[in-house]
Amino acid sequence: MFHYPVEKVTSVLADIIRQNVSADVWQWMEERTVSFTTAQFNTAFALLPRKTGKAIVRFTDEQDRSLQSARPGFVIRGWTIDRLARVWLLLQLDASEKESYFQTIENLFPAAEMQELVALYSALPVLAYPEMWTKRCAEGIRSNIGDVLQAIMCNNPYPSENLSEAAWNQLVLKAFFTEKPIHQINGLDKRCNAELAGVLSDYAHERWAAGRPVNPQLWRCAGKFINEKNFPDIERIAFSENAVEREAAALACWDSNYSPAKDLLNQNKELKAAIETGELTWQTVAGKATLVHP
Amino acid sequence: MQERTAVPFNRESIKGMTFFDPHVHMTSRTTDDYQAMADAGVVGLIEPAFWLGQPRTGVASFRDYYSSLVGWERFRSSQFGIKHYCTIGLNSREANNEALAEQVMEILPLFIYKEGVVGVGEIGFDDQTAAEEKYYRLQLDLAKEASLPVQIHTPHRDKKRGTTRSMDIALEQGLDPYMVIVDHNNEETVKEVLDRGFWAAFTIYPFTKMGNERMVEIVKHYGTERIMINSAADWGISDPLAVPKTAALMKERGIPEEAIRLVTYQNAITAFAQSGQINEADFAAVTQIDQSQKFEGNTVLRGGQQPRVDKDSMIIR
Repeated sequence: MFHYPVEKVTSVLADIIRQNVSADVWQWMEERTVSFTTAQFNTAFALLPRKTGKAIVRFTDEQDRSLQSARPGFVIRGWTIDRLARVWLLLQLDASEKESYFQTIENLFPAAEMQELVALYSALPVLAYPEMWTKRCAEGIRSNIGDVLQAIMCNNPYPSENLSEAAWNQLVLKAFFTEKPIHQINGLDKRCNAELAGVLSDYAHERWAAGRPVNPQLWRCAGKFINEKNFPDIERIAFSENAVEREAAALACWDSNYSPAKDLLNQNKELKAAIETGELTWQTVAGKATLVHP
Repeated sequence: MQERTAVPFNRESIKGMTFFDPHVHMTSRTTDDYQAMADAGVVGLIEPAFWLGQPRTGVASFRDYYSSLVGWERFRSSQFGIKHYCTIGLNSREANNEALAEQVMEILPLFIYKEGVVGVGEIGFDDQTAAEEKYYRLQLDLAKEASLPVQIHTPHRDKKRGTTRSMDIALEQGLDPYMVIVDHNNEETVKEVLDRGFWAAFTIYPFTKMGNERMVEIVKHYGTERIMINSAADWGISDPLAVPKTAALMKERGIPEEAIRLVTYQNAITAFAQSGQINEADFAAVTQIDQSQKFEGNTVLRGGQQPRVDKDSMIIR
C-alpha cells in the first residue's frame, strides 16, 4: 500500500498541526477521523480552512528532517495550514480497500476548488498505491491554474518518481511555458532525456523566431544530450550578449560528453573554473535567471 | 425612445476609492471587463450561481459550473487583482425541472462549505411555481444549517408580490432577515424590505432594472443602512462598471463619500462576511500571494498578472 513509513509521517504532521491550530480545532479534527461516512469526510475536507485558518505553517528543522527521512522530497515549506491539514486528513482514510480508497479520493477532484486542488495534488507523494495516481497527475498538468500547476511541478517528488516519460516531458515543457521556478522541479536532472532535450530545443527555436525571450534554465535539460543537431543552439547562447545565457551554455557543456561541447567549454577558462570551484551551478543560474530576450 | 444625453464617466472623481460588486456573472464576461473593473477600483466581487441562458440537461453540467465558480473563474479573476467570491444555489428557473433539481440538491452540500462560498444564491422565484417554492424552501434550510447568508433573486414579473412572498417564506423557514440579501429591488419594493429587517440590494442594469440616477434618489431618500448596489452584469446588455459609475454619479450629485463607501463597498461586505468567508486583507493578498509564491524572481512577468495589451496599438505582439 504505502511505499514509505506512513505512521512516521502522519505522526510528524499531527505534531506540526497541533502546534499551528488551537486545542479546540485539533480536537475537532481528531473527532472527524474516529469514524465517518464519505459524505462526512467530504464535508470535513471542504470546510477545514474555516477551522484551521490559512496561515503559513511553522515547524522546526528537526520536524523537517524527520519528514525528509521518512518521505524524501516531501517538502512542506511555505504551505498554509489548511493545505497541510487536508493532506493529513487524506492520510486518515483506510487504504486497505484499494478500490474504495481510490474512489473516495478521486471523487474529490472534480468538485474541488483551487486550494483543494492544491492540497490534493500536494498529497500525491504520500498517498497509498502510488502507481494508481499517474493518470490523475497527468490530468493535473493540463490545468491552467497557476497554483495547481505549481503544487504538482514544484517541490513535489511524485511526478519524477511515477510519471511516464511522455507525461514527465509534458510537465517540464509546461513548467517552462507557464514560467514556474524550474529549479524546484524535483528530479529534473535525473529524468532529463533525449526526447525532452529535443522538444525544449524546438521550443527555444520557436521563441527565438517569434522574437520572444527564452529561459536559460531550459539548457539544463540539454547537457547530457548535446549532439550535432542541437550543438548550434549551445554555440548560440555561448556567445550571447547575456551573461546568464553564457553561464547556461558553460554548464550544459560541462554535463556533456560531446567533444565539440567540451572544446567550447575549454575556450572559456573563466566559466570553467567557476564551475570547478562550485561558484557556478544551475542553482546560481536559477537565482539570477530572467527571461533573456534574443 | 427616451432622449439620451451622454455624460462622460468621470473616473477622476472616484480615484483612490475601492468598490465591491456583490452580484456579477463574470463567467459570461471577457478579460477586457476584468481589466476595466480593476482599473475603476473594483477589488472584490461575488458571482452568484445562476442559469446559463438555456436550461442544463444533466447534473454533471451543474457540478462543472459550480466547480468553475470556485476554480477557474476565481483564478481568472485573481489574475486581474480582483478577489472572487461566489454564492452557490439552484436558480429558480431550473428548479422547475424537478427530476434534475433533486439531483442538484444532492450535490449542493459538496459546494456550499467550500472556501470563498459566501452564501446560498441566487435563489427564489421566477415564475412563482410550486416547484420553485419547494426548492427555495429546501435551500433556505440548507443555508440555515450551514450558517450562510442567502442571496434572493426577486422575479421580473409580478415583482412586488414575489418579493413579499420571498421574505414571508424566508421567515417561515426560520431565517434571520439580517442573513438575507433581497436583490433586484426598485422604488416599489425597497420600503418593505428595509422595514422587515432584510438587506436591500439594487441592480444597476440598463433598460430592465434600476438606472443609477434613480439609485441616487433612493439613497437620498432611504439613507445607507442595509442598502447595497451591484451590476448583475451577465451575458445581456449590462455594465460591469455599474458600481464605480454609480459611485461617481453619487459623488457628482452631492452624496457624502462615506455614504458612497457604504453602498458601493462596505455594506455588501458586512452582509456576506457573515459567512465567515470574507477577509478584506485578502483583497490585497490576491496580488501579493501570486508574487511571492509563483515566480520567485524567475521571470520578468511579475505578480501572476496578465500582461496588459495596449488596445490602441495596431501592432499585436
